[in-house]
Amino acid sequence: MKTIGWRALARRGVARAALWAAAGALLLRFGSAANDAIGEIRFEEIGSQAGVRHRHHTRKFSGKNADVLGMFTSGGSAVAVGDFDNDGFDDLFVTNSDEGKPNKLYRNQGNGTFADATERAGVAGGNDPLSIVADGLWFDYDNDGWRDLLVARFGTPLLYHNEGDGTFRDVSANSGLGKFGNTIAVIAFDYDNDGRLDLLFGNYFQPENLLDLKNPKILPNNLDNAVNGGGLTLWRGQGDGTFREVTAQAGLSKNTGWTLDVGHADFDLDGDQDFYVASDYGTDWLYLNNGDGTFTDVTEKALGFDTKKGMNAEIADYDNDGLLDVYVTNITDEYMKECNMLWHNNGDGTFTDLSKETATCDTLWGWAAKFADFDNDGWLDLFATNGLRSAGKENYIPVLLPMIITPGIDFTDVNNWPAIGDRSWSGYQKKKLFKNLSGAVFKEMAGPAGVDNDLDGRGLGVGDFDNDGRLDFYQTNADQPALLYRNVTQPAGNWIELKLIGTKSNRDAIGALVTLRAGGQQWIRHVDGGNGYAGQSTTRLHFGLGRAGQIDSIEILWPSGLKETVQAPLNRISVIEEGKGLAAK
Amino acid sequence: MRATHRWGILWLAALLLAPPAGPAATPEEALSALEAQLAGDPDNLRLGSEYRQRAIQANAYDRAIAFLEKLVADHPNLPNAQLNFGFAYVDKIPVAGSITQVILANNALAAFTKAIELKRSWLALYTRGNSYLYWPVIFGRAPLGVADLEAAMNLQKAESKKPYHVRSYIALGDGYWKMDDLARARQVWAEGLQLFPENAALQARMQAEGEALKAVIDETYDITKRVDTSLQELWAEENTTARAGK
Repeated sequence: MKTIGWRALARRGVARAALWAAAGALLLRFGSAANDAIGEIRFEEIGSQAGVRHRHHTRKFSGKNADVLGMFTSGGSAVAVGDFDNDGFDDLFVTNSDEGKPNKLYRNQGNGTFADATERAGVAGGNDPLSIVADGLWFDYDNDGWRDLLVARFGTPLLYHNEGDGTFRDVSANSGLGKFGNTIAVIAFDYDNDGRLDLLFGNYFQPENLLDLKNPKILPNNLDNAVNGGGLTLWRGQGDGTFREVTAQAGLSKNTGWTLDVGHADFDLDGDQDFYVASDYGTDWLYLNNGDGTFTDVTEKALGFDTKKGMNAEIADYDNDGLLDVYVTNITDEYMKECNMLWHNNGDGTFTDLSKETATCDTLWGWAAKFADFDNDGWLDLFATNGLRSAGKENYIPVLLPMIITPGIDFTDVNNWPAIGDRSWSGYQKKKLFKNLSGAVFKEMAGPAGVDNDLDGRGLGVGDFDNDGRLDFYQTNADQPALLYRNVTQPAGNWIELKLIGTKSNRDAIGALVTLRAGGQQWIRHVDGGNGYAGQSTTRLHFGLGRAGQIDSIEILWPSGLKETVQAPLNRISVIEEGKGLAAK
Repeated sequence: MRATHRWGILWLAALLLAPPAGPAATPEEALSALEAQLAGDPDNLRLGSEYRQRAIQANAYDRAIAFLEKLVADHPNLPNAQLNFGFAYVDKIPVAGSITQVILANNALAAFTKAIELKRSWLALYTRGNSYLYWPVIFGRAPLGVADLEAAMNLQKAESKKPYHVRSYIALGDGYWKMDDLARARQVWAEGLQLFPENAALQARMQAEGEALKAVIDETYDITKRVDTSLQELWAEENTTARAGK
C-alpha cells in the first residue's frame, strides 16, 4: 500500500511541510473528528507564497470591434490539476490567452510551494497570432502511466506526450486532432469502454477564425435560442496517440449550440458514460450513451425549464442518494434573474431543478462551480466563481439594452454591438461558498470562510495539494491573477483519498464509480475527466467521512465492468490498481 | 371604463345565448373558436382575455401573439385590442429565456403605449405604469412607471371607488420606493390602506422595513413568476353591475 500523508511531508524535512504535517499529526493524535465537533470551513489564500500567482491575459483584438470580440473570448482562463510527474502531489497547468503569453506548468514540490516547470516541460506555447489558448486537460492517452497534456484552443488543439522525465513532446501534428474549432471546453472519457480515452470538445463559436475574421456575422443569432454555435466534436482515441472524429457517427452533429462546458457521468448507472452540455444562448443538452458508440439526446424528456445561459457542468451526488446530479451556473444579477440549476437526478431518467429549494440559485454571473467536501463532514459543499468584467464605474448593460430591444437588429453582426470601453459588466462580484447542510439545503458562507474575493473568476481546480486530507482549490481569473486557497478547516472530519489506476480500463480510471460505506452511511464518487468550466480537478477521489471511525466497505465499478471490493485505511491516501486491490507501498 | 361595462353586459348576454362549449373541445378547437369571435369583436377586452388564458393553458404563446398582432394590424385604432396584444407578450415572459424576456417586456410596453395613445384609460395607464416597475432599476424606468401610475391615480380619484383601485396605491408606492423615496411610498401605501384596510399587500408593505420591505417588493416584481393578466377584478365589477341590472 502506498500511503502519502502528512508523514511523507515531514520526511522531506522542509520547514513548511513540517508545520503542515504538525497540523495533520494533531488531527490524527486526537482521533480526528471522531470525538470532536467539525470546525467551520476556513481557507487561507497562499498563491504568492506558493509561487503560483499566475496572471492571465485575455486576447487583445484589433479594430473597432476589438473589445466586443475580446469580451466574447474572455473565458479561456483555465486550470488543470494533475500529478504529471507521479510524485504523489498534484501539479497545476494554467492557461494564458493573449498573443505570445505563456501557459504555466507548476510542479508541486510537496512543501507548500510550486516550482515553475514550464520551460523544461515545453508547454508554454499556443497563443500564436491565429490561435487562443482556452483550456487544458491532463489525460494518459496511451496508458503508459504518465499523464499527457491537451491544450484546447480557439484554433487547433495541441497534444503533448509526457516523456516521464519532466519534458513533453508535441505530438499534435500526428494526432489527427488537426480540425479547427473554437474550443472552450474539453473532457477525456472512455465513451466506448475500450480502455482508451476519448475526447469530447465543447466549441463556442462556429469554426471561423476570429483572428482572421472574414464575416462579421459571427455572434449568436438569438440571445436565448441560438443555433449558430460550435456545438460538439467527439474524437475516439486509438490508444496510440491518434484520434478519429466520430461526431456524426455518435449522433452529435445536430448540436450547433454555443457550448461552454461539458460534463460526463453514468447518470443512469448502466455502465457507460453519458454527458451534459452547458450551452450559452440556448438550451442545455443531456445525452445518454446507447452503449453502441452512439448517444441519444434526452433533453426534452429528462430536463425541465432551462434559463438558457449554461456555463458549467459539474456532476456529483450532493445529497448522498447514490445518483449523480448536475450543477449548472447561469446569470443572476440585478438586470437578469436566471437562477442556476441544480438538476437532482430522480433515478427515473428525469431531473428536477432544486436550486431554489437548496438555496444555490444565485451566484451572480456564474462560471465554474465545483462540489467538494471541504470540512470532511460527509456532505459535498459547493464553491462557485463569478464576475464577468470589473472595470470602470459605468455599467455596460444600459448601453447594450437599445440593441437588444430594437426590432430587426442582427445580433450576429459584431458591428451592431456597442463598444464596451472602460465599462464594467457584472464585475466585482463576491464568490460564493455553499456549505451543504445534510443534502437538503446549503448555507452561503464565503465571507467567513475567507474565499469571498471579487475577481473575475473563470475556472476552478480542486485538489489536496498538501496531501493533508482537506481539499484546497485554485481559482483562475480573466485578465487577473489566480488564487490558491489552502484549506485550514480545523478540525475537519475523517477522510480517505483513493488514487485509482486502471489496467484493463483506461489507466486514469476515468469513469470509475466508487461506493464507500462507513458508519451506516454511503457515499459515491466518480473519476471525471475534466468536468466543470475551465477547470480539471484532481482525479484522486476524496471522501469526507464525518465522525465515522472505520470504513465498512469500498466497492469499485471500473469502466471495464470489473466490480472490485477493497479495503483501505482511514485518513490516508491509498492507491488502488484495477484487479489488484491496494497497490504495494 | 364605461365602455368596458357596456361591452361586459353584451358579452354576458352573448355568453348566455351561445351554445356551451362541449367538454370534447380540444385546446386547438377552443382557441380557433375564440379567434373567430375576436375577429368579429376585436376590441372586446374580456373575450381577448379569455382567449389569452386559453392560450396560456395550451402553451400557445406564439400563436396568441401572432393572432393579436394581426388583429391590431387589421384594426389599428382599438385600445383594448392593443392591451390584449401587450398582455400576450407578458403572458409569454415566464417561459422565455432571460434576454427574450427583455424583448417581450419591451414589446408589451410598445403595445400598452399605443393603447394609451388611443385612449387614456385607467387600465392602460395602470398597466403600463406597473409594467415599468418590473424593469431592473439599472434601466431607469421606475420614474416612467410612477408618472403613469400618478395619472391612473388621478383618474381613479375622479370616479367612484372600485376594488381594483387598490392596485394603484400598491404600485405607485412601490414606484416611489424604487426611486428611493420611502417617505412618499409610505404615504401612498398608508392612503391606500385607509381606503382598503383589509388589503394584505398594503399591510405587508406598511409592516416591513429595510431588507424585509425589499424582499416584499422584490417578490412582487419577480419576473420568473407569472403575472395574472386575466383582469378578473374587472369582470367581478362588471358582473356585480350586471346582476344589479345597471
